[in-house]
Amino acid sequence: MDKKRILLVDDEDGIQLLYREEFEDEGFAVDSAYNGEEALEKFRERQPDLVILDINMPGMNGIEVLRQMKEINPDLPVILSSAYQEYKQDFGTWASEEYIVKSANLDELKAAVHKYLD
Amino acid sequence: MPELRKDPILGRWIIIAKERSKRPTDFVVDDVKTRGGFCPLCPGNEKTTPGEVLVYGREPGMPANSSSWKLRVVPNKYPALVIEGELDKQAEGLYDRMNGIGAHEVVIESPNHDDRFSDLPHDQMILTFRAFRDRIRDLAKDSRFRYVMVFKNHGRAAGASLEHSHSQLVALPILPRMVTSELDGSLKYFRYKDRCVFCDIIHQEIQQNVRLVCENSLFVTLAPFAPRSPFEMWIMPRRHSSSYVAIDEETLAGLTDIFSESLRRLDTCIPNVPYNFVLHTQPLGSELLDHYHWHFEIVPKLTSIAGFEWGSGFYINPMPPEEACRYLREVEL
Repeated sequence: MDKKRILLVDDEDGIQLLYREEFEDEGFAVDSAYNGEEALEKFRERQPDLVILDINMPGMNGIEVLRQMKEINPDLPVILSSAYQEYKQDFGTWASEEYIVKSANLDELKAAVHKYLD
Repeated sequence: MPELRKDPILGRWIIIAKERSKRPTDFVVDDVKTRGGFCPLCPGNEKTTPGEVLVYGREPGMPANSSSWKLRVVPNKYPALVIEGELDKQAEGLYDRMNGIGAHEVVIESPNHDDRFSDLPHDQMILTFRAFRDRIRDLAKDSRFRYVMVFKNHGRAAGASLEHSHSQLVALPILPRMVTSELDGSLKYFRYKDRCVFCDIIHQEIQQNVRLVCENSLFVTLAPFAPRSPFEMWIMPRRHSSSYVAIDEETLAGLTDIFSESLRRLDTCIPNVPYNFVLHTQPLGSELLDHYHWHFEIVPKLTSIAGFEWGSGFYINPMPPEEACRYLREVEL
């Protein structure tokens, strides 16, 4: 059976490395994008089953990317993953399924991913 | 020469910087381009919002949270304050803290993504003012809450994050400082003169007729004597009332008419002007007050708040309200 595919969008190498290892260990295939434009391109090409999306990135921010992705596929689960709480004040974030504040402990993020992919 | 003016209720000073005086066309309004894309507030996307707590205009027989509606009120999906739990007030030495109990709701004012609030037809706009009343009434039943802050951010510079027209209610377990200052200031005036300061303002402004923007049989719109911002307006009921939730249908209709006219005058003076409006009403659970008078304050976002304003609490306003009023009155609608 094909592995479920996660598109991981984050401009930080450390986050990309950590999340990729963790979610590959969980049995998922992980594609990486480092900015909004690349994310939208891979979103169209790879047709992921779920997107983990950073907000504060150079160029398009994650909320703009989210609204573009949902315009293309409103049913695709997108988890916003940000180091900052304050973006919750932007109602554009409502287009996401979850908004999870980044933490060294990935339990909450992993639980959210399994909730939508299992 | 600049002029210092004192707000008669709060005692707050502002500086009218006449030498910086501008025409409406001199104010720079931020680019209004929309970000576009999927909108979680649009019909058809109801599943992206929490379940509605109030809806108007849904056809009979249609299920809750289906896509036929004229106005919806939904809880904030990612709230700063949470509704579940008991209040837990604690002291830490001389400091006070409490857990973040509250209710944060969003009023989706129209099903049409591109509608602007100021352009809504009467029958649509009145739903927003009715929703404010009905939601405050409902939230007032929760004994944990002491005040419901009702406000709208229009335009990105004024804090609106989505272009789909919406406003917000935040129920709080404490009285905001601005509210207590207004209550204290109006009570002080009442004890001295045995009259409501807001009623006196209305009478004097009608008599002087230099800051009266527009009026109808139930309401007046004034450019306040000591405004924080160019083109600031206050919408006040002529008849004394301290509680917005006591508003009846006839008064809601009068409020809608004058609100619509006031915003259209503002928007004609400065197209696409960003603004905030805030409802000022008495605290929840209070008896009707002789010294307080509910009203709306509309504050265009045309000046920036920087070190002087933060440090002094003063605002610098380059537009005398008499001049702003003249522009607002003269525009053709």
